[in-house]
Amino acid sequence: MAVARLRGVLWQRAAARLQDARTVVAAPPGARAASQMTQDMLPGPYPRTPEERAAAAKKYNMRVEDYEPYPDDGFGYGDYPKLPDKSHHERDPWYRWDQQDMRHNWGEPMHWDFDMYIRNRVDTSPTVVPWHIMRRHFFIFVGTMLVMFVIGGMYPSYMPVGPKQYPFNDLYLERGGDPNKEPPVVTHYEI
Amino acid sequence: MASEPPTSAAERYRPNRFVSLPAELDRSTFDVSPERRRAEAERLAIRARLKRQYQLQLNHPNPAPIIENPALTRWAYARTQNVYPNFRPTPKTSFLGLVFGLGPLLFWAAVFKIERDHKEKLIKEGKDF
Repeated sequence: MAVARLRGVLWQRAAARLQDARTVVAAPPGARAASQMTQDMLPGPYPRTPEERAAAAKKYNMRVEDYEPYPDDGFGYGDYPKLPDKSHHERDPWYRWDQQDMRHNWGEPMHWDFDMYIRNRVDTSPTVVPWHIMRRHFFIFVGTMLVMFVIGGMYPSYMPVGPKQYPFNDLYLERGGDPNKEPPVVTHYEI
Repeated sequence: MASEPPTSAAERYRPNRFVSLPAELDRSTFDVSPERRRAEAERLAIRARLKRQYQLQLNHPNPAPIIENPALTRWAYARTQNVYPNFRPTPKTSFLGLVFGLGPLLFWAAVFKIERDHKEKLIKEGKDF
């Protein structure tokens, strides 16, 4: 009985000490946040009302008409804007961007796949030949080559060759023939 | 061919996820209506405001140690910490989770098992492989 009461008191004291330690670690006096942004400036859940949409557009530095969130499919996009899927290769190289190599301005909303669309990676610039024509030509060529190689593998064709002719009675000694015996005479010619 | 309705160059180009429409074929390049001009003016105003904020921080005589880009912070936060709170199990997400999460495990387990059983059979029969 006394032991249980003692253990209960000790447990409560340990819990209290832990709680004090946790508050001390969480925000010591004089601490600054790593980022100057408050929680309302960070991305949030999908906007449902027009007011939420307007607030989200303002948060992302976009016009309300331009702001279009990803569809609410439960994929985890939240209220992040759906920007056009264009790579940074297409952005004007002569405009003075704040970050010239990234072709990105400070505060401009970044595409969800920004790290894919940088100039070292995916390029969605318009091509000289339309995509469906290039795709068609590619598949026709690769398909034809594959079919021809498979058929050629199934029905190989070579130049006609005869059996190989070796000298010295068909290499009798080299093939381990008995040197004391008389080798069988092999002629590879007909006169 | 004569009965075909005339298609525009943009429709014949067929832009998709991998390649975008050239500006020369895009009708909106040549759209100079007042609505478009107002939209462009608003966008320019937002851009100019952001540029001004950035330049003030950049050329500040007593500069802060780092100029934080809120767009970058929001982008990183959205892709890492905002995904799970907004995740919702729907038929589509459950199906994709099964296919891409469980599918490869089961597939490769089956492949390895079948291949090793086949090899074991060949070894037992004394054949070459």
